[in-house]
Amino acid sequence: MLVLFIYTQKMADNEIRNLIIISTFIFALAPTFVVIYIMLYNQRRKQHAREKAQMRETFEAEIVKAEQEIKEQTMQTIGADLHDNIGQLLSLTSLTLKSIEPEDSDKITPKVNSAIELISNSIQEMRLLGRLLQGEQLISQGLEAAIRHEIKWLEKSGKYKVIYLCEDELPASNPDKDLIIFRILQEILNNIIKHAMATQLAITLEHSDGIKCLCISDNGIGFDPDKPRSDQIGMGLSNIQKRASLLGGEAIIESKINKGTSITITIPYP
Amino acid sequence: MILFMLITCLAETLGIYIKGQYLADPENVRPNVWVYNILLIFQAGFISAMFASLFKVHVKSGPVILIGLALLSILYITEQIEHGFFKKHAITTIVMSVLFIIYSYYYFYLLLKDERDINLAYYPGFWWVAGVLFFYFGSIITNLYYEKIRDFVASPTPYLRYIYNVLNVLLYACWSYSFILRKWPTTR
Repeated sequence: MLVLFIYTQKMADNEIRNLIIISTFIFALAPTFVVIYIMLYNQRRKQHAREKAQMRETFEAEIVKAEQEIKEQTMQTIGADLHDNIGQLLSLTSLTLKSIEPEDSDKITPKVNSAIELISNSIQEMRLLGRLLQGEQLISQGLEAAIRHEIKWLEKSGKYKVIYLCEDELPASNPDKDLIIFRILQEILNNIIKHAMATQLAITLEHSDGIKCLCISDNGIGFDPDKPRSDQIGMGLSNIQKRASLLGGEAIIESKINKGTSITITIPYP
Repeated sequence: MILFMLITCLAETLGIYIKGQYLADPENVRPNVWVYNILLIFQAGFISAMFASLFKVHVKSGPVILIGLALLSILYITEQIEHGFFKKHAITTIVMSVLFIIYSYYYFYLLLKDERDINLAYYPGFWWVAGVLFFYFGSIITNLYYEKIRDFVASPTPYLRYIYNVLNVLLYACWSYSFILRKWPTTR
């Protein structure tokens, strides 16, 4: 009887011992997982913060680059305009004035009038140039105003008919994003001027559900989007896509040979 | 910290000595439980003070720690009145374990909320708290069933000792690593 009691007691001891050891082991596992989880989570969080900082840096560098490019574009336009337009007008004025002969009094008055008209034209052109310089600051007044100004300058050449559609009510602006969107537009217009041989352009600027959409289409010669392009065009288009993705959006380029090109930029806004 | 370690060492030595005496003469010598009941006061005080110091970096810790200590004091006194010094203050021990587990999780939460670039593998506070969490989480089962084990099992101490040995190794390993990190900070 005593042996049976001792045996039963031993069995109970063993069972309870096993139960406690297993429970303790399971309970000790919980903090192990917690510690590992917290270390991993913290590591991932740090990595995320580093990536975010890096993205911010890239974004800021891109803004500086875009500002620089807008300035360069403005200077190029001014240089070309001074050489091709105002320079020609002033040369013509100089020639007209030089051709005046004091002996031939009948022709003096028309020639002087012609010179005055040429100088007036020059002054008008200078004013427009002045406005272009101001236009560089236009971006601070909003994307819509800057685009309108760019179109006015494009139309002045007389080569393009531009249709511009813009929503009346656009949300509060984001100057950094506006700057890059404006630079994308300039890049697209440059491509159109240099390669598209277009006569008509349609530009629309819309905003819905937190997405800003800029669409530029032309009736130019177009290209095959699947074919590798010459370096300069390729770089221009890849720049457009890179900048759109930097803003968290995308650039969809659609084109067919002899059927024009359409580029749609969608960007989360503001 | 050094003072607490010294007190712990003294208590453990005294505990072993009294256990020897008790095993030799169980009729006249009382078990060593009372030594650990006294050590409980130092444990509660020291670990709460350490948590207060760790929390202070992130939040105002005073009220939380004081409420915890007040709760433990009430339980300790109640148990003292109820069964005296020579029986283990089991409820106080369990509540203290739960309290320190909650403090540990709260500290981890504060670390995750911290905006600073902290590498937890080399952060002393994290490892000190990890040691506390391992020890109190691991020992909670033995504490919870201590009374039952004592009543039902003929000789509960051998395997309880093994469990406590493993948990002590974990606790002091984490604390030693934390001490090394604090004493010789790395640039990592």
